[in-house]
Amino acid sequence: MKAPWRKNAPSLAERLTALGEAAALARGRLDDEDVEAAEEVVARAGARTALSAGHTAVALAGATGSGKSSLFNAIAGTPIAETGVTRPTTAVAQAARWNPEGSSALLDWLDVPRRHTVEADTDLSGLILIDLPDHDSIEGSHRLEAERLVGAVDLLVWVVDPQKYADAAVHERYLRPLAGHRDVTIVVLNQIDRLPAGAVSRCLEDLRRLLEADGLGGVPVVAVSARTGQGLPELRKILVDRVAGRRERIARLEADARAAADRLGQAARLPADGHDREPPPMAEPLTDALVEAAGVPEVVRAIARAHRHRTVAATGWPVTRWLRSLRPDPLRRLRVEGHGRSSLETVSPVRRAVLDVAIREAGAGASRGVAEPWAAAVRKAARAPGDDLHDALDRVVTGTSLGLSPKPRWWRAVAAVQWLLLACTVVGGLWLSALFAVGYLRLPDVPTPDLGAVPWPTVLFLGGMLAGLLLGALCRVAALAGSRLRARRAARELRAAVADVGVGLVLEPAEAERARFTAFTGLIATAAAP
Amino acid sequence: MSGLSAALLELRRTLDQEMFPLKVGDTASDRHALKELAGQLDDYLLPRLAALDAPLLAVVGGSTGAGKSTLVNSLVGAEVTEAGVLRPTTLAPTLVVHPADAGWFSGTRVLPGLPRSTGGGRAEAGTLRLVTAETVPSGLALLDAPDIDSVVKANRDLAAQLLAAADLWLFCTTAARYADDVPWGFLRRARDRSTALAVILQRVPAEASGPVGRDLRRLLEENGLGPVPLFEIPELRLPENGALLPETAAGPVRRWLEELSADARTRAAVVHRTLAGSIDSLDARVRGLADSVERQRLGARELADLAESAYTAGLTAFDDGMRDGSLLRSEVLARWQDFVGTGDLMRGLESRVGRLRDRVVAAFTGRPLAERELTAAMANGVEALIGAVADGAAERTVDAWLATPAGRALLEDEDVAQAGRLGRASPRLQAGAERAVREWQGFVLDLVRREGASRRGAARAASFGVNGLGLLLMVGVFASTGGLSGLEIGIAGGTGVVGQKLLEAVFGDQAVRRLTGEARSDLAERVRVLLAQDRGRFTVLLSPTLEADPGRLRAVAGTIRAHRGELSGGGAK
Repeated sequence: MKAPWRKNAPSLAERLTALGEAAALARGRLDDEDVEAAEEVVARAGARTALSAGHTAVALAGATGSGKSSLFNAIAGTPIAETGVTRPTTAVAQAARWNPEGSSALLDWLDVPRRHTVEADTDLSGLILIDLPDHDSIEGSHRLEAERLVGAVDLLVWVVDPQKYADAAVHERYLRPLAGHRDVTIVVLNQIDRLPAGAVSRCLEDLRRLLEADGLGGVPVVAVSARTGQGLPELRKILVDRVAGRRERIARLEADARAAADRLGQAARLPADGHDREPPPMAEPLTDALVEAAGVPEVVRAIARAHRHRTVAATGWPVTRWLRSLRPDPLRRLRVEGHGRSSLETVSPVRRAVLDVAIREAGAGASRGVAEPWAAAVRKAARAPGDDLHDALDRVVTGTSLGLSPKPRWWRAVAAVQWLLLACTVVGGLWLSALFAVGYLRLPDVPTPDLGAVPWPTVLFLGGMLAGLLLGALCRVAALAGSRLRARRAARELRAAVADVGVGLVLEPAEAERARFTAFTGLIATAAAP
Repeated sequence: MSGLSAALLELRRTLDQEMFPLKVGDTASDRHALKELAGQLDDYLLPRLAALDAPLLAVVGGSTGAGKSTLVNSLVGAEVTEAGVLRPTTLAPTLVVHPADAGWFSGTRVLPGLPRSTGGGRAEAGTLRLVTAETVPSGLALLDAPDIDSVVKANRDLAAQLLAAADLWLFCTTAARYADDVPWGFLRRARDRSTALAVILQRVPAEASGPVGRDLRRLLEENGLGPVPLFEIPELRLPENGALLPETAAGPVRRWLEELSADARTRAAVVHRTLAGSIDSLDARVRGLADSVERQRLGARELADLAESAYTAGLTAFDDGMRDGSLLRSEVLARWQDFVGTGDLMRGLESRVGRLRDRVVAAFTGRPLAERELTAAMANGVEALIGAVADGAAERTVDAWLATPAGRALLEDEDVAQAGRLGRASPRLQAGAERAVREWQGFVLDLVRREGASRRGAARAASFGVNGLGLLLMVGVFASTGGLSGLEIGIAGGTGVVGQKLLEAVFGDQAVRRLTGEARSDLAERVRVLLAQDRGRFTVLLSPTLEADPGRLRAVAGTIRAHRGELSGGGAK
């Protein structure tokens, strides 16, 4: 996992912050166990950094009978720890400190109640040496205690002996998993006095070979004999250097952070193949499906019909247009105007099918390039709205202005003209009736003005009627054009609104989850940087 | 004896199949137990039963650096196996026998899986080196085993295999190691199987000789191994690599071995004890395996049930979608209205023109256009519904499987991409659904044709045309029961009702109900088959586990128990 944009390795604080954030992002996406391990590392690092920086906690770890306690006594210069021939000897960890000032809080945190203060030695004044119980005897409690402290101290000194240096117990259970901690690991081959002269170097070589295989090549390996004191000065010098450097505490926590970040990265199966690949454009196909699922085509058809219906009802020939109002308004039948649920069947299985397929496609597209455990979260985010989506689509259809109000002004004008024409017809009719009555009653002729050759009452009656019918027909033609226009406009607006719903409820959550993954990979790269 | 041998052979044969494909419980330890059992049958039980009077095989085993090779060399009185300071020293086991007994071991009777090598030089790892020595008592073979606890895994596995094949364990430990966890695991197993055993405590420093011996004896007693012979060998500074222990140290062990092997009767008693212990332990071990297989089967059953319930839910969803009339909406409805020309007043007016147009079109094309469109629209609707139902069922199955550890491991074993594909309907489904709908429509037409032919109303049926009536029947299938409300009845239900009335007029209402029922169940059956095919992608992953039979293992265990008595007869002879 490389972070090419970063030249310098990140500091411990940066690493820990990144790790903590990565763990928070991974919660619910990766296994809780991995996430909790990372959180624990952050918490432990926080606790340790708050404690004495001047002390370095060094643990002597190893198998039963390898001489941890003897070595402990030899370094301390006094027989503090009980040593014995019956196994296992040490049951509880104990600490030796060279400069007790400020060390108590650290030892409290490490939960090592047995402490011994050794005569001041300026070289080793920052050292806290801890003798651990064994990790391989039949006493299981010893192992728990040893493992707890192995996980918490600043520097690990693994003590092995010629009999046990190749035991699977230490290599497989501890050294291999802690290979990332090579900077804070020292290996001591104790009891070299038991080896025939000349065998020591062969034995050391073999031990180095095994350590190399564990991933711990280059770790300091010291051959000592706690009994004869052979090799002790060398070990002591290494300890003095390490303690004086005051780097172990930071290095240990960095190794912990790296290991936890690697673990999270592995859980997320990083690096994901082609993570840089952009997701394909998904808005269009999704919108197509949502438009279909929201019943937009039906609504648009109804709008066109409704416009025609209403135009005719408003502008048709007044004598016949009342018949129109007996027919149901197509749009009102769908109940999409105004509020409340439309009677469009947005949840019909077939519609739902189309919708589900579209959402799955969108989720699959958004998760492209995301590693598998997290890709499932992306897909889930796309699917999450479920019924909300149906409601939102319904609201879009009922809430969008459908382009049918306000009523066009020309309707009113035409209606007025129609009424005027009707009035003309009526006036003409009445006039003709009056003339008819006068003729019937043989009264003297009333002179009537003529328009050209045709008398005015006839012009009014027939002309008004014909003009009204003609105007009605013309308006039907206009209604057809108007309905097409309105249908197109409504289709456009509904599509835009539906597209917004799709983006807001499906694509954005998926994209947010994807962004979360991208952020996670970046944080892991920081936390795990070499 | 033959009955017991036959039962053991039968047991061995049942162990050859993969028994634990699912991650249910502690699969790793189940597999290990299986492998160990099969190994012990091959290496020890079957050959030992076949030749009860073969020499006693004493395996010298224990921790790395416990002086096993040194002990063997000292017992033989010559450097037959390499001892050294580098751990682990022994990589290839060495078998030392009296020349007279060599024949027993050169064949593949014991430890058939290990190639033999003879002659000098260092043997390669993984072979069994055969050495003959006059100093080994006749009737006894000493096997220098690799360690049980070093980093070399092959050694640990081989040592466990050799110890399982032994008549007698000489278990070596040291003053520094006697409380190690790993060897005690072996010692407890020896106790559980009543294996003949002696413990040799090596490298005891002079100052520790009393307390360490007492402590080890205490531990042995605590672990139920009180009567086990314990030999103590002090830590000696050997002058050179490969030097032997002095007679004072190795003598007691040698004398004990000589006593054991001198007399055929005592030898037989040792053989019998270990053999009987091993056979007795079989019962619990085989039953343990059977229980694990049972667990596997239950786990697989559970996963299969999860898949089944997901697909059953899918089928129910399809059934609902088919009945509630939703298939008749939008596209299908429009085509329906084109076809029959009913509906409200306005549609009625419009479609009268439409019908005229259709007739004109039909006159030219030979087949009514609206009818074709309605058929296609209905097919599309049904196909979409099948696709969605299958997608949903696959997704629910994957989700349900991911929630169980076994299902999760199974899906992860499959390629990740493959698992992603499992979460959707199979690619074949689309084509299958198209075919199924086409065939169903053919079936409905056949139904109408048959009904028409057998009826008095044949003439009336003919006047409407088989195709037309078939369509009416299909619409009836999708609309005959409720789920419709308010005004929608006017849209979808109404159309259904009109079609229904028309059909009833032709066939009579009894027949229409029957025909609708038949058509619906035929479609449901076709979809069920399609979904079952899709579900097959999941069940095929489980099939090896579902077929495993713990009953066979239990039966074999029972047979072995029944024949156990033969052993006491044979052993006392």
